[in-house]
Amino acid sequence: MPARTDIHHILVIGSGPIVIGQACEFDYSGNQAVRALKEEGYEVSLINPNPATVMTTPGIADHIFLEPLKCEYIEKIFQQVAPDAILSTMGGQSALNLTMELDRKGILSKYGVKVIGASAQAINRAEDRGEFKRLVSELGLESARSMIVHSLEEAEKVKESLPFPLIIRPSFTLGGMGGSIAECEEDYLPLVERALDESPVHEVLIEESLIGWKEFEMEVMRDSRDNAIIVCSIENIDPMGVHTGDSITIAPSQTLSDRDYQRMRDASINILRAVGVDCGGSNVQFALDPKTDRMIVIEMNPRVSRSSALASKATGFPIARCSAKLAVGYTLDEVVNEITGQSVSCFEPALDYVAVKVPRFELEKFPLPVSALGTQMRSVGEALALGRTCGEALNKALRSAERKIEGLQEMKGDVETILRAAHPLRLEAAYTVIKQEGEGAIKRIHEITGFDPYFLYVLYEQSLLDRELEKGLTPELLKRAKENGMSDKRIALLSGVSADEVKAMRDSDDVHIAVHCVDTCAGETRAVTPYCYTTYGEADETEPLGEDAVIILASGPNRIGQGLEFDTCCTLSSLAYRKQGRKTIMINSNPETVSTDFNTSDRLYISPLTAEEVAEIMRKEKCSRVVVQLGGQTPLNMAADLEKAGAHIVGTSLRSIDRTEDRGEFSALVKELGLRQPENRMGTSEDDVVKKAEEIGFPVLLRPSFVLGGRSMFIAYDTDGLKEFFATSGLDISPESPVLVDQFLEDAFEYDLDALSDGEHVYIGGILQHIEAAGIHSGDSAAVFPPYKCRPEIITEMKEWTLKLARELKVRGLMNIQFAEKDGKLYIIEVNPRASRTVPFISKSSGVNLIEAAVNVWEGMDLIEQGLVRKGESIAEGRCIVGWAIKEAVFSFDRFVNVDPQLGPEMRSTGEVVGIGTTFGEAYAKSQAASGNLLPEKGRVVISVNRKDRKTIVPIARKLEELGFELYATKGTARDLFAEGILTNVVLKVRDGHPNIVDMIRHHKIDLVINTPMGFHSRRSDDDIRTEAMRNKIPYTTTTSAANAATLAIEFSKNREYIVRELRVRK
Amino acid sequence: MQKAYLRLKDKTTFEGIAYGCISPVAGEVVFNTSMTGYPEILSDPSYNGQMVVMTYPLIGNYGVDEAEHESSGISAAALIVKKLYKGPLPEGKRSLEEYITSNGAVLIEGIDTRALTIHIRENGSQNGIIYTEGHEAEAIEMLESFPLITERDLITEAAVKEKTVNPDLGTGFIKAPQNAKYNIAIADYGIKYSIIEDFYKRGCRVTLLPPTWTSEDVLGKGFDMLFLSNGPGDPAYLQDTVKEIRKCIGMIPVRGICLGHQLITIALGGKTVKMEFGHHGGNQPVLDVFTGKTFVTSQNHGFMSDEASLPEGVEVWLRNANDQSVEGLVQRKLNVMSVQFHPEASPGPHDRKDIFDIFLKEL
Repeated sequence: MPARTDIHHILVIGSGPIVIGQACEFDYSGNQAVRALKEEGYEVSLINPNPATVMTTPGIADHIFLEPLKCEYIEKIFQQVAPDAILSTMGGQSALNLTMELDRKGILSKYGVKVIGASAQAINRAEDRGEFKRLVSELGLESARSMIVHSLEEAEKVKESLPFPLIIRPSFTLGGMGGSIAECEEDYLPLVERALDESPVHEVLIEESLIGWKEFEMEVMRDSRDNAIIVCSIENIDPMGVHTGDSITIAPSQTLSDRDYQRMRDASINILRAVGVDCGGSNVQFALDPKTDRMIVIEMNPRVSRSSALASKATGFPIARCSAKLAVGYTLDEVVNEITGQSVSCFEPALDYVAVKVPRFELEKFPLPVSALGTQMRSVGEALALGRTCGEALNKALRSAERKIEGLQEMKGDVETILRAAHPLRLEAAYTVIKQEGEGAIKRIHEITGFDPYFLYVLYEQSLLDRELEKGLTPELLKRAKENGMSDKRIALLSGVSADEVKAMRDSDDVHIAVHCVDTCAGETRAVTPYCYTTYGEADETEPLGEDAVIILASGPNRIGQGLEFDTCCTLSSLAYRKQGRKTIMINSNPETVSTDFNTSDRLYISPLTAEEVAEIMRKEKCSRVVVQLGGQTPLNMAADLEKAGAHIVGTSLRSIDRTEDRGEFSALVKELGLRQPENRMGTSEDDVVKKAEEIGFPVLLRPSFVLGGRSMFIAYDTDGLKEFFATSGLDISPESPVLVDQFLEDAFEYDLDALSDGEHVYIGGILQHIEAAGIHSGDSAAVFPPYKCRPEIITEMKEWTLKLARELKVRGLMNIQFAEKDGKLYIIEVNPRASRTVPFISKSSGVNLIEAAVNVWEGMDLIEQGLVRKGESIAEGRCIVGWAIKEAVFSFDRFVNVDPQLGPEMRSTGEVVGIGTTFGEAYAKSQAASGNLLPEKGRVVISVNRKDRKTIVPIARKLEELGFELYATKGTARDLFAEGILTNVVLKVRDGHPNIVDMIRHHKIDLVINTPMGFHSRRSDDDIRTEAMRNKIPYTTTTSAANAATLAIEFSKNREYIVRELRVRK
Repeated sequence: MQKAYLRLKDKTTFEGIAYGCISPVAGEVVFNTSMTGYPEILSDPSYNGQMVVMTYPLIGNYGVDEAEHESSGISAAALIVKKLYKGPLPEGKRSLEEYITSNGAVLIEGIDTRALTIHIRENGSQNGIIYTEGHEAEAIEMLESFPLITERDLITEAAVKEKTVNPDLGTGFIKAPQNAKYNIAIADYGIKYSIIEDFYKRGCRVTLLPPTWTSEDVLGKGFDMLFLSNGPGDPAYLQDTVKEIRKCIGMIPVRGICLGHQLITIALGGKTVKMEFGHHGGNQPVLDVFTGKTFVTSQNHGFMSDEASLPEGVEVWLRNANDQSVEGLVQRKLNVMSVQFHPEASPGPHDRKDIFDIFLKEL
């Protein structure tokens, strides 16, 4: 069937901010979908308030709206650009839910907009658990025995008919949010209650536990002619009981016989048919009882998902692209397989390798209790590795996850406890035991963990290799170790030599990588494919791209502080280089990304991002030009090793990078240039830190060197605070790993500046001013572009300092500077001579693609030639072409019930959104709407501000009163407001007894909190207020400027004016 | 287990470790891209005389089960793999190594199967030999004189020796129906158990005839249909049987699968041609020309119907969606139908199990 001609203009819904369970895989899918639809000649609009995405880059879609994912804004888009169809399946659960809401509210029918992808009916059948169960049983398949409840009374009854442990799943939530496991009677009702709250429809499924069963996923595509294929099967190495997003998984399935595999295949296709998915991809999850072979259908997602992104990267089959084609009427046999270029998409990829995915957790930021993993996803990212054997792929994937391990290795700590818990380190615990006890331990570990003996045997084989290596290295053994995916470092450690010696032995024996292509057909047909992985001991099958190409190092698995933003930078740089005619080689291990789409670069390597692997690829490709400044800290950390291996680092020199990263050198640099930074010292022991802090004067900010996202940062207000830091950070403070002690500028204004330099001239992309109080990590703070409250002298000073730094450091490329202003004085906090998290945001708000401009600089075009700086001048500055753009951070705290949702110098947010408006109020209102902070339009406001803020809060309080809010205030604030003629109710402070401010928040008696820091004596109660507000999803502000912003936004929202604006580029 | 070599006719040699009966063993080297189903492949009589390269690198993962046999023993001359799994298996499963050894077959592991597959793809299928250290000269000599697949009688060995009614397929398979709805004659060239089972499932009484059958064994004997089975080798080798098929066409409904399809092609007056490296795997898309639907099928063939040679009245029913080659024929007037792929699957997708229903419906 040809493409549909009854539709001409399609709106694609993105997934919004990155949260756990909904990450950049939807940027990948949305991006593919938009491209696929444009290829067919459709006009394409896109809505996504996430500025960090590739998909919202001007030029990707015809009309791009960085607007909140809310019905009101979609309706405006319908009026403004009049799409006639909406694609619902590319933006995760958020897009599905929004589509259903649009349908329910009659907005789709009002504007005659058709849903393509999955119909509202199909979405309902798949998502409504009761409906889905009925459908499964009609097909003669089995679901877990379960019951649906809508109240605690119904829940009481259920527990009589089903045995513990019981799984509790709320309906219609993403990533299994609010799901849990009740081990016993006592846990049961509280967990059900929480789940009922989480479910937007107040519905919860209680079901029998399948913990320990084998778990599989099938990625299925079906078209309107009822053609159906399985793109990929995935087996979870972590058995049932751990969310599939948190499981180590392998594709294709390893332990299914053809009979079992075909049984699952038939079931999957029948389910798609029954649900009515007839133009797209879905995933179906199964559990298999290893003892009885009983097969249970767990669930299906009638849309592209994290698993489908993984399956696409594991097989080379572009599921999202193909889904988009099917959505507009094509059938699978009409869509050409892009990889082979000759066969059609109505086939099932045949793999001749295995693909292992390892999740990435943030155990330091979100410490997990021992038995932490369950039905709710907790990992923030993932890494994928391909190999010819399980051992090889597993070792590489573990390394790729950048978990500070060199593949399979023993762990320290309480192995037996971890073995008995659903814990991220369980596989390592199993490895530890197997290495100690040998093959005989397999049975016992299988019984404890549910890991299939097949996988445990893979661990056993690795342990044998370890044992051999411990006896000494031979060339033959080296080859086998490399074939099993071991790193030089690990081999060196085991065999008692240095990594350089291992490398030397590899060189003399010619043990180097062989490149294999991912071709979807196991070598059956000749495929010209740019998608590669590396292995050892086999035939190489590619030609080097040579010295003219450039290698771009991406950022690896998503983590807090290093995520989608950097992937967008890498992707855009590849596109920019190719526009200039230069061939690009992308290296990345993150399967969720656009950078690992095989169309993004001339060659793509799915590979661990380590110096060893990158150096091998450089050698193989005969290419030494390497970009390290776009992928965050990961590429920078290996830059020195790469340079040693012969790399030419593109742009700013390694020496300059060192001068900014090494605190001592940086201080010298600041002094030399006559700039100012907060007082700072270096502490080399705990006592030394105390001494240095006293020299500087409290409060002080503590941090280790070379960290990203402020890991292990801490603000200490006194010596006790320092001791708490020593106790909780787990840092080993020594002359080799010193701690930096900085003067903390309490109450300062903070700024983020992104600039581009050619070494001589500087173009400032934009300056962002933080709304939240100083001391909150820049990634976690709402920020405004342009600065909303800054004297022109300060801006001028920032520009001058930037130019001085750029020239002194001979910056070629991007540079990010963080400034603080206190009492009219400017301080420089830090300089990062690389792309920052805010580059995509600034690029879009200013209409200048900073990444493309940086690539142009690297290709020899200075800023004058590019028209960014006027001839004869040395500096220029971008402006916000949309009026106001406000970036708001988005958190995933609701994933971590036991984690204090507190903000501080350590970054905790997982994603961001932008609000755009011609007035500050509009922009802030949108940023809050897009991030899910629902600003109240009426109700109660509690105000508690420090002495300094008592004056500035007055007009805000007055405004809120005018807007109809009932005011509450703590004693001092109330008194001062009363003096200004504003009457408030008085509420107790936390330490003054009950019911106090926290109690009121807890009982939902407050709709908005304004609480500015009271100094260190009140820090704890301030934290309590913030924590409680966050936990109860009540908006709160920590500065009077944020309070003012909220007030302006509330005023704007009350008008119910919804304006949407297309993103444009600067002319 | 012993160090061994795989040498191709063009002298390309791979080193590995061999298991089983390691006197030099020769055969045509072909590959299969199925990721599951090695027991079915090993025991599929169509592979008689061939050495099968599994492109999927990890083989033996789930052992071998009684119910996964497609014949009474191992048919393939050897299995060539990247890595053989030797670890623990669920209760009741045999290890692949033990299964190979006790059946007197051969497996070689440690081979760069991807390089080998690409080599076959680029240079076409060819004979190869597996030998252990010290037997090189003997092996080379044997390989030089080893007959081509087109010159070998691989069928006699693979098929029944005498007429057999309703054979018992053993554990895991269903038994012949008590009250048969249809009575079918099967010309056996090495039939897979799953095909027989699919006929049993549909209420057929099955009579297997050895490859030397004649039309007298079929016509006037109360059969509802003559079915020509799959089997190894070159259809052109079976000139005598084609004459017998011609005698039956028009007299009785005739059906065929794989080799049977190729024989029907020839019997109807068409030609078969040897393909460059054939279709061997469980992921081949086939378009049903009559319904417009595409299916994923299991395939294993090195010869195909030459579409240009098909006489008038023969319609192309099914077509490979990748290379457009003929995957199924119908001659309506004479009530003849055949398919090139394996609707019985095993291993492979079950998408076209309905082919058996169609075969029987049109009787």
